[in-house]
Amino acid sequence: MSRIPFRRTLLAVGFAVGASLAAYGATQAASVADLLAQGALAPQAPALLGPITSAGRVGWECKPERAAAAKGSHEAELPPPDPSPLP
Amino acid sequence: MAVALAAIAASAPAGAQVYAPGTPAPRTTSVPAMRALATAREVEERFRIGLQDQATGKWSASALEFARIVQLHPPEPKGSTAFYDLGIAYAHLDRNAEAATAFRSAIQIDREFLAAMANLISVDIATGNLQDARSVADRYIALAPDSARAVYSRGIVALQAGDASTARSDFGKLLSLDPAYAVAHYGLALAEERLMQYPEAERELRTALTLAPNYARAEFALGVVLLAQARRGQAREAFARACQLSTGDPALSNLAASMRDSITR
Repeated sequence: MSRIPFRRTLLAVGFAVGASLAAYGATQAASVADLLAQGALAPQAPALLGPITSAGRVGWECKPERAAAAKGSHEAELPPPDPSPLP
Repeated sequence: MAVALAAIAASAPAGAQVYAPGTPAPRTTSVPAMRALATAREVEERFRIGLQDQATGKWSASALEFARIVQLHPPEPKGSTAFYDLGIAYAHLDRNAEAATAFRSAIQIDREFLAAMANLISVDIATGNLQDARSVADRYIALAPDSARAVYSRGIVALQAGDASTARSDFGKLLSLDPAYAVAHYGLALAEERLMQYPEAERELRTALTLAPNYARAEFALGVVLLAQARRGQAREAFARACQLSTGDPALSNLAASMRDSITR
């Protein structure tokens, strides 16, 4: 999956913020909350679950299907909090 | 002695070592049956090679193997599994539309295939197809209401689509499943912020930062929430910390620096 569009979006958002700050001053800085509203800073989507053998998804051996049903974030292979770069 | 040994050898039954065949020899002369056996063998071999290719990052080669398998229409669970593995190969090749189609085909064959739903949502989010992602996520949660990945995925989709109430509900559910997951606190905070529940958002962000002190995005969001409450000095400090924490992430670092510098003391 391409990570480039998201980074471009964020960079574009960064420029937009800078421009808006220059134009309207710091009192308008709260409008940056709109960035959050637009989902630009939403948590990243989970990475793909891994491949499955010809035996199929049913059974304890199928790790991806177990991850898909797991209750814990680690077992579900959900992303960790950054400091890793934004996707 | 030699005579005795010769006598023993002569009396022992002479027989060749027998090896069990890996796959039983076909016991039929029926052409359709033999063709079916050959196809089944081909499917197994292509699965083996395709998975080996994925393990070594040969995504194009892997896609060819799984594309051939689905053409052979193998019985379940091989059919849905081949579509699933094909989707993974396409996603790694940035052929996201084809990946989504492959995952959808897997789900169409096996309507409770959770891993395929999970991957389809990830691909849909990457391509910005939030409508489909939401519809799949709804089904995913209906089938597995206690799945961390299901509620997390729908929470993200809801946030991006502007449905803060659903996002709040989903990240709240995720926290009931895994209270120590900092990202869930962060997601819940974003939903609260959108609902203008700033004290709740601040509480969640501070919890996220307690669990993960280097969480740059949470620090940045905290700055936004503090600013919304007109706590400019604290907001500036939060943006400054976000800037420091995101040194490996130029986009976020620049954004945080812009925010920090825009706030006059």
